[in-house]
Amino acid sequence: MRKHNEKVIPDIYIPDVGSEVETVNGQKYLVANDAMYTFYKRTKGEFSPFFLALRDDKKVLGCKCRECGLVRVPPFLTHCPDCNFAPTELVEIDQVGVMNSTPPITYFASSLFADMAPYGRGRVILKGADTALSVNLYTTTGILVPGIIERGTEVKIVFRDERIGEVSDIFCVPTSELSPEQVAKKGLLESEIDWEHPQEPDISDVSSKDKAVFKKAFAKMRSVINEMNGNARARKDIASWKRDILVKSRGGQFGIFINDGNITLEDRGPDSPDFVIVSQDLRTLLDGLTYRGAITDMIITKKIWISKNKEFITVFKLDRMARSLARSKRASIMNSKV
Amino acid sequence: MSKRVGIVGAAVTPFKGRWAEKTYYDLAQWATREAVKDAQIHINDVEGAFYGIYNDIFERTAIPEHAIHGLCGMQNKFGIRISTGGATGAYTISAAHAYLAAGRFKTALVLGVEKSTDCFDFSSMTATPEVIKSIGWSADSFFEQAIGWTAADSYAEVVLAYMDRYPNDLKPEITAKISAQLSEHVKTNPFAQRQFDQVTADEVMNSRLVVYPFKELEICVYTEGAAALIMAEEETALAISKNTGKPVVWITGVGEANEHSFVGRNHKDMSRIMSDHYAAHRAYEMAGIKDPTKSVQIVELHDAFVHQLEISMAEFGLVPLGKADSLIEDGLMTPGGKYVVNPCGGLIYCGHAVGASNIMSAWSAREELIRRGMKIALVHGTGSTIAQFTACLILENQ
Repeated sequence: MRKHNEKVIPDIYIPDVGSEVETVNGQKYLVANDAMYTFYKRTKGEFSPFFLALRDDKKVLGCKCRECGLVRVPPFLTHCPDCNFAPTELVEIDQVGVMNSTPPITYFASSLFADMAPYGRGRVILKGADTALSVNLYTTTGILVPGIIERGTEVKIVFRDERIGEVSDIFCVPTSELSPEQVAKKGLLESEIDWEHPQEPDISDVSSKDKAVFKKAFAKMRSVINEMNGNARARKDIASWKRDILVKSRGGQFGIFINDGNITLEDRGPDSPDFVIVSQDLRTLLDGLTYRGAITDMIITKKIWISKNKEFITVFKLDRMARSLARSKRASIMNSKV
Repeated sequence: MSKRVGIVGAAVTPFKGRWAEKTYYDLAQWATREAVKDAQIHINDVEGAFYGIYNDIFERTAIPEHAIHGLCGMQNKFGIRISTGGATGAYTISAAHAYLAAGRFKTALVLGVEKSTDCFDFSSMTATPEVIKSIGWSADSFFEQAIGWTAADSYAEVVLAYMDRYPNDLKPEITAKISAQLSEHVKTNPFAQRQFDQVTADEVMNSRLVVYPFKELEICVYTEGAAALIMAEEETALAISKNTGKPVVWITGVGEANEHSFVGRNHKDMSRIMSDHYAAHRAYEMAGIKDPTKSVQIVELHDAFVHQLEISMAEFGLVPLGKADSLIEDGLMTPGGKYVVNPCGGLIYCGHAVGASNIMSAWSAREELIRRGMKIALVHGTGSTIAQFTACLILENQ
């Protein structure tokens, strides 16, 4: 998502001038770092009222055909193609609507959108509109997973506090996660929403069997984390990364601490965790850490829950550590056979 | 009265994830050389060229066809490029068909080429994110690009909307079985990117979710390569066929449709791929096919995603909407079933060299019609955002 005072193309994406030789079947081929770039001062033209209204007035505009009355949001055109190009007029649109269909969720985004992921992108039919506005979708309840926002889910437009006159100035959250006042308010800001109290799955009902399962899995998990901490390849996966994670499960809770290549497990979890992982059955998370299924998939399929959407990237790093450890073990077995 | 048009030569280069050894110039000429050889004609006998190249960004140049026109032996002749997203190849065949049917030319070269994985993401030091980003520039630039549009999430929008409407269709175990079957088909395609990449349904089921509901082994792969056809009007086609001894595969039906790019009342219905419906049924009508379930034997379908393959088969009228899983459950596309679907392995296993993909599909359909002695094939290309462009062709074995 673009912000003020950033470069149009951030420096991190720009390679140095250079080249290398790739050898294929004994032949050498020259491969050069390159880019095809064009800068623009691009007019928003007839869309300017829409984007200016988003940026300056926290309003959403559509256009209404003076003949058939069809209301298009965003206001795509000044004349209606369905009415032999009868003129349209700009109208203000309500900021609550329903999802036209179930939106997809992108978990693994390209570098351009990595800071937005995981994100939903779908189409909302705002009240009074006949066409759908494409929007990003988020939840305040924790990680965004399938089932939270579906066809027919009522959603509310939320405005970014810092707006630049792009469609990314707004996104939607389900109205069920907001107070009636927030739902009714025009121009609701992102900062007015409580993002700090996600809805943790209930794991309070604990049997003695759960406790036994936890104890056994916890011992194994400690051993796996220790192995990861001693594995150079796995340590590299969390270089320059720091997170204090509280892990909760039926039967107990503990902490996983990541600090620039180090990973440790401690009986006592952090008092102010960066985020919470809930694995109802600790064996599920253990499977992920021992490379028997990706933890990211377990989150998407709701077997594991995390409290913060943006910490999906940390979970992805845990998946990579699991893979690194598995590969090192495999390489070690192969070497011992040789 | 328009003239009959047929395919009299066809070729593909090997489809690969990366061709460090070749630029798109040489890939284009390679496919042309082989197609001309297959038709046993001289390049001088080809009167016009139709280029299917999807994306200027992939080729890293605007007007990418200008460089290859002369290099493919077409100097001072007609040359036109078609670019309609994923449907580029099928639309290119359609365009060549129209010119030949109108009598403008006796012969034409249809050439698709793409060089996608020169794109490279220097932050992850891999190609794929940059390829995805490059395709992302295809989205609506005012309202969609800035909020993370990708080809995968765009197709997922359509698939999820279909699943909203038909919640009991597109079951994960069925999409997994289809992918596994396509991986078996590809075994006999020596030009395929993943010829020896056979997978089980369990492996598909356990592969990573990329964009829900798509798993890694249910998605087409990015490919570099080229494919070419030599097409001719009736008299010329028959003369070439007599010379080569290979039957003419006639293009008896052509249909296209592009839906609205935006969604809502009087706009795109997200739960359908109406472009597939209209294009296929227009092609049937032109070919005189009353009931496609009784006529179509081979389908070379643009399978960007397995789920979309199923929806497309329903939109073609080959299975009922909402019951696309019958493709597997009723054995319609399993070995020995009613339809041979993507015998080349499709775009998921043969590969997706965008502008070349549907032309590769036509190459495969022609080969399979002749080899199996079958009569009718449907070739399909879909593309653009939310699967809104489609071109379909009916191929008939002489």
